Amino acid sequence: MTSFLVRRILGAIVILILISLITFYLFYALPRDPARAFCGKICRPETLTLIRHNLGMDEPLFVQYWHWLSGIFMGREFTQFGACPAPCLGYSFATQEPVFSAIVDRFPVTLSLTLGASVVILSFGILTGMLAAWKVGQPLDKIASSTSVIGASLQIYFVGPLVVFAVVDTLGLLPRPSYVPFTEDPLTWFVHLLIPWVVLSIIFTANYTRMTRSQMLEQLAEDYVRTARAKGMSGRSVFFRFAWRGAMIPIITIFGVDLATLLGGAIITEQTFTLHGIGELAVRAVQNTDLPMLLGVTVVGAAAIVFLNIVVDVLYAFIDPRVRLS
Amino acid sequence: MRSHSRRIATATAVLAVGALALAGCAKGGGGGAPSAAASQTPLENKAVSAITVGTAADSTGPAPEVAGAKPGGTANMIDRDDFSHLDPGRVYLNYNASVSLLFTRQLTNYKEDASGSIKLVGDLATDAGTTTDGGKTWKFTLKDGVKWQDGSAITSGDIKYSFERLFADFITEGPDYAETWLVPDPNKPFRDQYKGPYDGKELDTIETPDDKTVIFHLNAPHPDFNFTVAMTGYGAVPKAKDTKQKYDKQPFSSGPYQIVSHTTDKSLELERNPNWDKNTDPIRHAYPDKFHMEFGLQSQQSTERFLADTGADKQAFTFHNAVAPERVQEVLGNAEAMKRSIQGLTPFTTFYNINTKRVTDVNVRKAIITAWPAKQLQQIAGGEINSGKIATTVLSPTVLGYEASDLYGKLAKPEGDPEAAKKLLASSSTPTPTIVYAYNQTPTQEKITVAIKDALTKAGFNVVAKPLNPATYYDAIGPVDNQYDIYWGGWAADWPTGSTAIQPQFDGRLIADNAPNYTHLNVPEINTAIDQANTIADPTEAGKAWAAIDRKIMEQAAIVPEYYQTYFGLYGSGLGGVRFDPIQGEQSALDIWVK
Amino acid sequence: MTTVSWSSEPGTSRGPEPFLSVRDLSVRFSTEDGVVHAVDGLSFDVEKGTTLGIVGESGSGKSVTNLTILGLHDPAHTEVDGEIWLEDQELVGAGASTLEKLRGNRVAMIFQDPLTSLSPFHTIGRQIGEVYRKHKGASKKEARDRAIEMLERVGIPQPATRVDHYPHEFSGGMRQRAMIAMALVCDPDLLIADEPTTALDVTVQAQILDLLKDLQQQFGTTIILITHDLGVVANTADNVLVMYAGRAAERGTVREVLSKPSHPYTWGLLSSMPRLTSSVDMPLVPVRGTPPSLLNRPAGCAFHPRCDFPQLVGSDLCFTQRPDISPENGHGDACYLTLQQKRDIRTGDTKEQA
Repeated sequence: MTSFLVRRILGAIVILILISLITFYLFYALPRDPARAFCGKICRPETLTLIRHNLGMDEPLFVQYWHWLSGIFMGREFTQFGACPAPCLGYSFATQEPVFSAIVDRFPVTLSLTLGASVVILSFGILTGMLAAWKVGQPLDKIASSTSVIGASLQIYFVGPLVVFAVVDTLGLLPRPSYVPFTEDPLTWFVHLLIPWVVLSIIFTANYTRMTRSQMLEQLAEDYVRTARAKGMSGRSVFFRFAWRGAMIPIITIFGVDLATLLGGAIITEQTFTLHGIGELAVRAVQNTDLPMLLGVTVVGAAAIVFLNIVVDVLYAFIDPRVRLS
Repeated sequence: MRSHSRRIATATAVLAVGALALAGCAKGGGGGAPSAAASQTPLENKAVSAITVGTAADSTGPAPEVAGAKPGGTANMIDRDDFSHLDPGRVYLNYNASVSLLFTRQLTNYKEDASGSIKLVGDLATDAGTTTDGGKTWKFTLKDGVKWQDGSAITSGDIKYSFERLFADFITEGPDYAETWLVPDPNKPFRDQYKGPYDGKELDTIETPDDKTVIFHLNAPHPDFNFTVAMTGYGAVPKAKDTKQKYDKQPFSSGPYQIVSHTTDKSLELERNPNWDKNTDPIRHAYPDKFHMEFGLQSQQSTERFLADTGADKQAFTFHNAVAPERVQEVLGNAEAMKRSIQGLTPFTTFYNINTKRVTDVNVRKAIITAWPAKQLQQIAGGEINSGKIATTVLSPTVLGYEASDLYGKLAKPEGDPEAAKKLLASSSTPTPTIVYAYNQTPTQEKITVAIKDALTKAGFNVVAKPLNPATYYDAIGPVDNQYDIYWGGWAADWPTGSTAIQPQFDGRLIADNAPNYTHLNVPEINTAIDQANTIADPTEAGKAWAAIDRKIMEQAAIVPEYYQTYFGLYGSGLGGVRFDPIQGEQSALDIWVK
Repeated sequence: MTTVSWSSEPGTSRGPEPFLSVRDLSVRFSTEDGVVHAVDGLSFDVEKGTTLGIVGESGSGKSVTNLTILGLHDPAHTEVDGEIWLEDQELVGAGASTLEKLRGNRVAMIFQDPLTSLSPFHTIGRQIGEVYRKHKGASKKEARDRAIEMLERVGIPQPATRVDHYPHEFSGGMRQRAMIAMALVCDPDLLIADEPTTALDVTVQAQILDLLKDLQQQFGTTIILITHDLGVVANTADNVLVMYAGRAAERGTVREVLSKPSHPYTWGLLSSMPRLTSSVDMPLVPVRGTPPSLLNRPAGCAFHPRCDFPQLVGSDLCFTQRPDISPENGHGDACYLTLQQKRDIRTGDTKEQA
């Protein structure tokens, strides 16, 4: 296990460095000049040169990259802003905030959104899928199967405003989605994020209902399930203890892949509900041609996905002893 | 002033962040959604009836009471973007300027009366400035009782310092008119001539004979310098509190409010500045006790919330977010919401540049304007409310001295007059000229291009359409020797006189790669007229001179004017005194009060 | 070994002797293509402590019969008629909880492929132990101890270590031993072994069969051994039931059926099997044709399309009339050929008629 983790983490670091290199390269391959954004309306060439210097863009690319990379581990010293202690991701071109603290500040929002939605997706999707499999062929199964198809075809930016209009503006059942730190008031946190969670999970939940249902049915037809029944295990324990475990393996695998999509969905959800998370930061970084922010968000986002995938792998090994993490 | 061209931007897909974020005057990647094109009833967009320079009496506080207004409460502001800069020296965008009015004061500012006429008045200064030598030397006297948020007096030294620090290397985003005029040689980079106050050196062209008097010695006459210093970019910054780069996050207030907290891209909280005295201020009312500002709302979302008008949104307004294009029809049909709507003509104009270096025959250029399908383009762009009023001049009606004129009969035949155009072409050197039209490759622009091609072809032109990548649009049209004949552009005067609208764009001596003279027009007569207009000290006379130049440029057919852009926005039912600010082209917070 | 004793009054009230008695059992599945008659009017008995080998091709209904005994068929799509008596308990109509108590306890089952038949997610010890806990109410500790004891009994070395291993850590033969350990953990009266050696190497096969025999001798377990391999039956079973298309084709003691087979299908099975005693030159003759579709059974004797001798029977009996097994006890078969005809065919002068 330990050696597995060490190998995975080393691999992750290599991946992250590659991602940052590619981002860095693509940024400069774009025909846009970030310096233009910091120049007045009548942009004089000497002003542009000054801005490039201010942004550190007058140095060779590899030097810029090296500064950035070493800053993460050793911190950096900026003539403009002073010391930036490790882990230093530089200062945003656009807002002149330290990138790291901007990300740290917004991370809980995206994390809350993603984790909350994951809980909704997994609990609700798996529950309805299992119920559908338990009552296969019965009305409940048919309802679950058909609503899951509808759910999968809905879009966040379409459903989001509709739900807010209905639940917040018209019925007044829930407050307008916003982010209140969990540490401040868990209940308010929960209530204000409920709509985004549900909306973000709609598309995914449907998929998990379908997957769980078919996986359960598949598992129930497996030999070892028959053995369990032949041993005298009750129908319920066969269903929930044996078949469930087997059904979870492909679902967790898919979920590991979906995590990246879910993070992407979180970006759209943040836009839809005006939540100030990493996604919003990413969109602004692109809009503003903000290299340090773009790099920071990309690398942190990628790190989150890689980390969560390691977690999924560990979980996977936990559920399925055939997978060895050695 | 640089306009924050958001209306067009909001229609763009969330992640498709093309060129428009680059420069305030970039045309959007997407164009307006043409949902409300056909049956739109034109809104009444009142042009500014007159801009004048006010007297010392006009400059005294307090601002005339707004009928029914009462102090107190919290006003909420919801908008798409956070203010990119709060350090006055780094403010150029109208959007940043609007909020800065609440905590930054300049030497002069604009006062709008009930009739809609605008006067340039003294803000920190007792009047709008005086000059005795035609605009080369300007004298401003500070009012008694003007203070910083810590209660200390605002002195002439602070004003001098505010200008000196603009030379520092970290201030690059703001206007640089004054900097260029305050150094010995306007034709050399100003930073080479003065490096700013941080190494202890002073700028000796600004004289402070006493604590109340500031005298500017410019290197050439600039009779509208008093308009220049009304820009937020020339707002006051105290030496004692200057935190350089960090000042952008927490500027020190000279206005009625001070910043409690600012979380980038999330929120800004303002509370009263107890040391602001309304008796010194002719333009700010400061009725609410607090302002709460929230960012990150697309125009779709803010429109939704204004229409819902529930909870704290009742006391909300927006500086910049317009009604989402696809909701315009709905809002127009909603009598209740229309009572809470704001309309107006912004200082922003758009037009199609004709590259006079390539299209050298003036009759060909005239034929282009005559054949131009202005009406069809407006419909594609979503009608007048989503685009603007069809323009026929260089200057916007919001500029001092604007004179309406329609040399090519565009208001009579807005759909284009191919026959008249053919006649013009017949009298030109090339009866069937080939025209290269370059455009941003976006869905709306594709449609517009088809309409332009159709109309010009009917008139006998041979049109070659050249799609450009929106991300590099300005880089493509920037070079003087670019290979295109017609390309879109936009402009807004930095202050409402003709000089900043006309000179940068049409002074033939300023032609350079990536310079704003995209038409490459170089007519000696116009260049001379610009120089003359720049020396006219009387604003009304100057206005007339600029209007005459406007006419000359149109006679040269250097641009096809497109729109005088309009603004159409909503606010909550719990606010009074929300009005349109014709200088910034968006909602004004100055008269707002909480019901 | 005990002697065979077939019930004298099949289908009527039963005497106390047979441990398991199946009477006129019919099992039909409804599928998308129609109704499958998997088992059709099957009757047989098993004496306590004996081993019955059920032989037949795939689809002959041998596995279905035994799943039905345990009630492991899918009730939604299956119709079961007839009676199954386990001593004095009727199983066809028994409730779910009755069957649950029975399974793994009085009646245990082992399956063909021990890899897929064991849960990959639980340790061997746990899988053995949970049967014990379920039926005997044992504690975790007791169940574990019992599991170790059982592993030892089925010949797994270092049972105390192996008890915590997962199935995938076992070899094929070990897994089947573990499977047997699991089946026997509650000392069942009846063990149904469904092709227990098919998936294993030949050497391992023999070990497993020996193990089953040993265990039977030790504990007196009744065994039903399902196989398609007559060789397995020959070494292990007391009695044999040959099934074809859901019905009994022949039954009798091992000796009777193997040395004096009386049904053409049995002949086919035997001639398709290599023997040490026969010459290596003699070709193996598989039964020609393919097993019949159970969706659409041939009329008359289900074996007639593959049978060489219908014309010997005369008229069209084989094609129209379904034969029942006769005599009703002892060595019987379901074929219209006379004893003389069968003897003639067996003695070899029938080849030209084939």
